[in-house]
Amino acid sequence: MISSDVTIVFISLFILFIGLGFYGKYWRRGDLNHVHEWALAGRKLGTTLVFFLIGADLYTAYSFVAIPSGVFAKGSLYFFAIPYVMLTFAVALVTMPKLWTLSREKGYITASDFVKDRFGSTTLAIMIAITGIIAELPYIALQIVGMQAVLTVMLAGSANAQIVEEISLLISFTILAAFTYTSGLRGATLTAIFKDIIIWITVFAVIIIVPLSIGGFSHAFSQVKANYVTLPSALMPAYATLILGSALALYLYPHAINGVLSSESAQKLRTSTALLPLYGVGLAILALMGVLVFAVPNAMNFLSGFPESSRGILVVPSLILYTMPGWFSGIALLGIFVGGLVPAAIMAMAQANLLTRNIIKELKPNITSNSEIRITKISSTVFKFIALGFVFAVPATYAISLQLLGGILIAQILPAVLCGLYVKYLRKTPLIIGLLAGIGSGIYMVEDTNNFGALTVSLFNTSFGSIYIAIISLAINLAISFGGSYALNNTKTSKMEKN
Amino acid sequence: MNMRVKKMHIVLALLILIPSFVNLGVPIYNRDSPELLGIPFFYWFQTLWLFASSGFYIVFARLKGTRR
Repeated sequence: MISSDVTIVFISLFILFIGLGFYGKYWRRGDLNHVHEWALAGRKLGTTLVFFLIGADLYTAYSFVAIPSGVFAKGSLYFFAIPYVMLTFAVALVTMPKLWTLSREKGYITASDFVKDRFGSTTLAIMIAITGIIAELPYIALQIVGMQAVLTVMLAGSANAQIVEEISLLISFTILAAFTYTSGLRGATLTAIFKDIIIWITVFAVIIIVPLSIGGFSHAFSQVKANYVTLPSALMPAYATLILGSALALYLYPHAINGVLSSESAQKLRTSTALLPLYGVGLAILALMGVLVFAVPNAMNFLSGFPESSRGILVVPSLILYTMPGWFSGIALLGIFVGGLVPAAIMAMAQANLLTRNIIKELKPNITSNSEIRITKISSTVFKFIALGFVFAVPATYAISLQLLGGILIAQILPAVLCGLYVKYLRKTPLIIGLLAGIGSGIYMVEDTNNFGALTVSLFNTSFGSIYIAIISLAINLAISFGGSYALNNTKTSKMEKN
Repeated sequence: MNMRVKKMHIVLALLILIPSFVNLGVPIYNRDSPELLGIPFFYWFQTLWLFASSGFYIVFARLKGTRR
């Protein structure tokens, strides 16, 4: 059982968090009945705010839970998250200011808006919207798994822990839904700053205090096997392709594009993107906790009370609880908890934008802007609860694997969205076929490599070693999109010559 | 395209390509020594490289911004 000061600090800070969320409505006031005001905070966020907002978008429960969990269970392979975030900002620096500029000129709110306008294809735009919505769902579910891990550690040993946990999650989500409904992205941005301050305090405190109290990093690294110290050479292709595939995929997620478009100018977007790798330092420290925990006997003892498959996700919260004073654990655990809640809000909002603008509006073009905003707000609430139901229905480890599948799916919209920004000769039909082939081959390879059972692996064995599936299916997709467009353009020009 | 613009394009490309090459060149940093504060090279190098990458990116952003 944990001491009461943990709980008291945790709950007081959570109340402050709720206050900020609702206050967002009055912050930099705008008419929230317009979609771009509600969902993009009026496109008025400067360098610092975009830094925090995209930071909150990208450094989520994935960082607090999935990465340390992977390092704890599998070793150095999961440190790929660090070079991956570095590379993703290179991709963003080159492509996102261009998307921002076009969006400002033409009023796009989603990537799908751009695709529809660029290729004049409703089919392609709807397919991109659907891919975005589906790929985003396991990402939201993963946020909830992170929140669940905090509650599991806090409630361990108490009676009815399971029920209390589920009710707490339900209450948190209802509150979240209420303030995103009223405040939109403004509420999310304010709470993102609050969350980030707590996370940074936590990360630095842990990285200073834990190594000192356990006799240095060298002690922790002497407790683990060789594949935790460096990468086994057979895994190098896997490491490199995980970096590349994830880096290409991240800025295709609807919530990332949503964050990008809320920037005030292309230059401010560039500056904050350039600074975002610094955020990765926190991620690196969290990943190292997956190794540090081996040198903390109390935490290891606590973890051994759980089934092996669910130990990983509890690494960070239990390490904090067993090395820090009670009041500080309260602050840190709340940081992780809202670290899942804030991105979940932004993601659900991005899904709602896609559903309303790019699917419902396509099918029913004459809805008024009033009902458009109402449908968007309501569906963002619905998406949150779908993800919550998903977490209650499937085990946590399964949610992490589905997130890997989400990455493979979202990577397939790259030819239309990112290449579409620069390459003039791309045509809609090859892009549609390429997208379908990429998704189909991705799902097939994931199923095949997992022997059509539970999803645990996202690497595919080839003669070059194991390779991240997103890269293979993206290569197929790109070959079809570019090859097909090239062939189409050639036949068109030769026909014209004949005439 | 005049020479100055061409040169600028090369510099901008390098500012993106150099950090990317290091990030994807896994054999460059996949070793355990030298250690830093007891942390194997593999971990501390990639963590400190975050600062270097950010440096490259900031120069890229500045150059892009002053071009117009």
